[in-house]
Amino acid sequence: MIYLLQEELSKKVMDVNDIASYLPIGIQIVCAAGLVAFLMLVTHLLGPKRKTADKLQSFTSGIESHGDARQPVAIKYFLVAILFVLFDVEVIFFYPYAVNFKGLGWSGFWAVLLFVGFFLCGFIYIIKKGALKWEE
Amino acid sequence: MTLVYIILILMFGGLISWIIAGKNSSLAKGIALLAVLADLVIIIGFWISVYDKFDLGSQQWLIDYRVEWMPQLGISFHLAMDGLSLLMTALALFLGAVSLIVSWNEISKNLGFYLFNALWLIAGIIGVFLSLDLILFYFFWEVMLVPMYFILAIWGHENRRYAGMKFFLFTQLSGLLMLIAIIALYFIHGKNSGQYTFDYFALIGTSLSAKTGLWLMCGFMIAFLVKLGIVPFHSWLPDAYTQSPTGGSILLAALMSKTAAYGMLRFVVPLFPEASKTFAPVAITLGVVSILYGAKLAYAQTDLKRMIAFSSMSHMGFIMVGIFSFQALSYQGTIIEMIAHGISITALFTVAGVIHARIQTRDMDQMGRFWEQVPKMGAITMIFVLATLGLPGLGNFVAEFLILTGAFKSNVTLTVLAALGLIASMIYALVILQKIFHGERRKEWKLTDLTPREVLAMGCLIVAIVWIGIYPQPVIKTAQPTVNSLEQNSNNTTFVNDTGPTNKMTLKNGDENMTMTRETSTFFLSLNKKGGGK
Amino acid sequence: MISLTGLNLILPQLIIALAAIIVMLSIAVKRCHRFTNLFTLLSFAAAAISVLYIPRGSFGVSSLFVVDGFGKFFTVLIACAGFVITLMSYHYLNAREKRNEEYYILLLLSSLGALTMVISNHFVSFFLSLEVLSVSLYALIGYLKEEPAGIESGIKYLVLAAVSSSFLLFGIALIYMQTGHLDLSGIAAGLSSSGEFSGVFIAGLAMVIVGIGFKMALVPFHLWTPDIYAGASAPVSAFVATVSKGAVFAFLLRLFYSTGGLENKNVWTVFTIIAVASMLFGNWLALRQQNIKRLLAYSSIGHLGYLMVAFLAITDRGMQAATFYLVVYFTGMLAAFGTVIYMSNKKGEALYIDDYRGLFWKKPWLAAIFTTVMLSLAGIPLTAGFLGKLYLLTAGTEVGIWLLVIVLVVSSGIGLFYYLRVVAVMFAGKNENEASSEPVIGKIFPHGLVLTLLFLLLLWFGVYPSSLLEIIQQIASVIR
Repeated sequence: MIYLLQEELSKKVMDVNDIASYLPIGIQIVCAAGLVAFLMLVTHLLGPKRKTADKLQSFTSGIESHGDARQPVAIKYFLVAILFVLFDVEVIFFYPYAVNFKGLGWSGFWAVLLFVGFFLCGFIYIIKKGALKWEE
Repeated sequence: MTLVYIILILMFGGLISWIIAGKNSSLAKGIALLAVLADLVIIIGFWISVYDKFDLGSQQWLIDYRVEWMPQLGISFHLAMDGLSLLMTALALFLGAVSLIVSWNEISKNLGFYLFNALWLIAGIIGVFLSLDLILFYFFWEVMLVPMYFILAIWGHENRRYAGMKFFLFTQLSGLLMLIAIIALYFIHGKNSGQYTFDYFALIGTSLSAKTGLWLMCGFMIAFLVKLGIVPFHSWLPDAYTQSPTGGSILLAALMSKTAAYGMLRFVVPLFPEASKTFAPVAITLGVVSILYGAKLAYAQTDLKRMIAFSSMSHMGFIMVGIFSFQALSYQGTIIEMIAHGISITALFTVAGVIHARIQTRDMDQMGRFWEQVPKMGAITMIFVLATLGLPGLGNFVAEFLILTGAFKSNVTLTVLAALGLIASMIYALVILQKIFHGERRKEWKLTDLTPREVLAMGCLIVAIVWIGIYPQPVIKTAQPTVNSLEQNSNNTTFVNDTGPTNKMTLKNGDENMTMTRETSTFFLSLNKKGGGK
Repeated sequence: MISLTGLNLILPQLIIALAAIIVMLSIAVKRCHRFTNLFTLLSFAAAAISVLYIPRGSFGVSSLFVVDGFGKFFTVLIACAGFVITLMSYHYLNAREKRNEEYYILLLLSSLGALTMVISNHFVSFFLSLEVLSVSLYALIGYLKEEPAGIESGIKYLVLAAVSSSFLLFGIALIYMQTGHLDLSGIAAGLSSSGEFSGVFIAGLAMVIVGIGFKMALVPFHLWTPDIYAGASAPVSAFVATVSKGAVFAFLLRLFYSTGGLENKNVWTVFTIIAVASMLFGNWLALRQQNIKRLLAYSSIGHLGYLMVAFLAITDRGMQAATFYLVVYFTGMLAAFGTVIYMSNKKGEALYIDDYRGLFWKKPWLAAIFTTVMLSLAGIPLTAGFLGKLYLLTAGTEVGIWLLVIVLVVSSGIGLFYYLRVVAVMFAGKNENEASSEPVIGKIFPHGLVLTLLFLLLLWFGVYPSSLLEIIQQIASVIR
């Protein structure tokens, strides 16, 4: 399927290599940009505008808002999150290995062992540096 | 190896005096001077030992030293010496020594570094005169540049940074264009012959199409015209000459500009004989324009050094005219002009430096009636002013006379115009004398006359300029083989008839017992006969 | 699968990779800056020396890598640069930052990226090594915690590099779509069978050029350079200027010379425009800089432009010229940043040209070294820069690309202005108000020694480069 698609596409590109053949694309781009501009302009002109203090306030289901939404979060949080991602990604690499476990044989086994070993080193480093100690 | 030693002595002398200067400044100066003088002795000794070989039809090259340097690129370390380079090397060392003597007390700040730069500059100049590998030539060409920039930018006068920058940019950029031309020539020769080399002897026979030849020649010419300060490329020259300290001005005006003239004689004419024939009318026109325009500008200056700078530019015009007339006479004239102009401009810049050291100004409007206080200085200045305006009996006259006689045969109109330059030079040269030493006294200055050291330096210069003025035979004889080959080279391309070796014998009849005037007149006669015989 | 026999071929890369892990573990056990620094030095040295044990010839290691003379040469070059940077970092970090050990992990990792890039023979390995290089660089650039400018430039680099990487990936995908291959020889074969370049392939190449051009800071993609150079600490700037750019350039040479991508007129023209713009703009924009690191940044843009001239010659001589010039450029840039580090102190770096005023009368040797470096970057004889430029000009004139050659000459003329300005300031009168009495970093022993060595190298390559030329001629014809 993909192979066919590839062949098809490349042939098309080879065939239509003069500037005139780009005309439909040009028209499309103009239309797309024009439509957006048109819609924005029209809503701007037609829509009624009433700027009262109440309208400009943020709406929170009738409850009055207070405080700032951008509260500082402890940096530890990000650290744990990124470490989680790191080790999560590592797990993904096991799937293809598991599928080809037999085919890859011992050399595959050593390679994965090496891979895990490296990660283990990283893990030791993280533990030793106290990155996972929450209260400090 | 001698040639390598000559350069190495200067380079090591420079290093040693730099190191020593912190502890003992006069010893450092002594060592620097000693290095230059030692080289001068070597060269003169060598000259005397080979003097008889210049007689007739003898081979051009006296020493040829070649070792591989970067064989992968076809670059060799090739130094060689013929009569022309011998003369130029001797001139460089002589004037180098003089420049050290006259600026003996001028430089007090960072003396060691100054001496280092001065000696490396002289070494670079001599390298240019001796190298016969085009990349080595370019190498030395640029090596001259950096020390000169430092001398100019560190020890120069009030506007030194600007002048230094301008000087560096002009010469460096034009030099790069020459480098491209060199590389292009290398490839053309390589493709023709299969031998990729930058060696002069190999490249000299390269056959070029008319258009390529012209382009390549332009690459070389731009570098040389800039350094010579010929009209459209002269704008760096007055600034650099004026802002340099005395020693720097001397090295710049007397020696560095000669490297350009040398380059034309050594490289442009032999490598591109046809292209230079095509270019000759333009070149001579540029030369004439420089002569007249330089003279006019010189007349308009009130700054003494600037005036001398423009006068130098005017004289460089004669060199252009001389080279591109392609006559034996004018070649000889050019070579003598290179020497005589070197000597006279050295003396003039020395005078300017001496006055500046005493009254801290170069403005001629503030000077006047100095003769009463400093008669020795006045008398010496007069001699060199007269030399500059071309008084017979002094070196410049011989040179300019020969150039014009030669040029007359190739282009009458332009030669006549160039000859007008002699009259113009009279005007500005006498203005120097008039404004400084005669005229009204505009300001009260306390002046002291020349010190014995300065008298010694000037004395050497006077001897030299008078010697060349009345007995230029050794110079002519030494340059003869080079001139012969140059002439043959241009003859091969245009003229069919060959002058043959017998004509050249006329030049060697210098009888020392003759009186001064007879000697010179017969000499000129014989030269003219030779030229007319063709 | 990599068999064990192939392992000795990628020994330098393995050493650096292992070193990174060992350094990390050693930090986990105990922090010791001196040990970490020494260990990093040793591993760089070992990586450089281990190249001697790789047999001669060209070997493929799986389909991802190819170990040949060219790759080995660049391996040594990068390992040496890493060595020098490590050496220069020690006192700098001691003076300016408390927790220094992680710096070396990052340095080793990014060098690893560079080292694998120069032997990459496949888009996958290229992209992986590019990411290893870049990701560690993000952290390295923002390493100094107290320096807001550093962190800002780290984030800037992160965002821009991520964008350029996505361009690169898209380009690689398009090329894959067209040729059905990701390895360079396969791409070359796929191309030669189809003859003409198709639109898709050109689009792919263009996107790859965007990605690579960003890393090399060629002109339309250069905007990050001055900010990152100025913001990052000086040793890291030196790393970005040399190793990171050099490695990408090596891959660029391999990519276009082995696939013949430059045969196409359009691609060639695009590169010509990029080269001309880099040479002119790089040097032009450097003119008004007062900050020496920004000045070096712009000058490095110009230098990469010069390198492109040799690259565009598509000859063996062009290869040699590019390689030689790159060595010269490495030496010059390392020495230049080395001088900046030398002059820095606890409070900050000697960023401004005025900090160097009158340096010649205070520290003549340092000033002499810096002058030589500037003259070498400007391409004045007796220094390596001149022969480098000569080589570039030879490569350009041989094939008659006159436009590029003339632009090279003109832009080196412009370049003279600002190099000379730095030199002139050093020789100017003494600085009246001595800014700070803090001792400079370079006072301490090994730093001055390294600078002197780099200085001697510049002179050696400038006066008698035959031995280096010989090596370069041997390796250069291999990859075509």
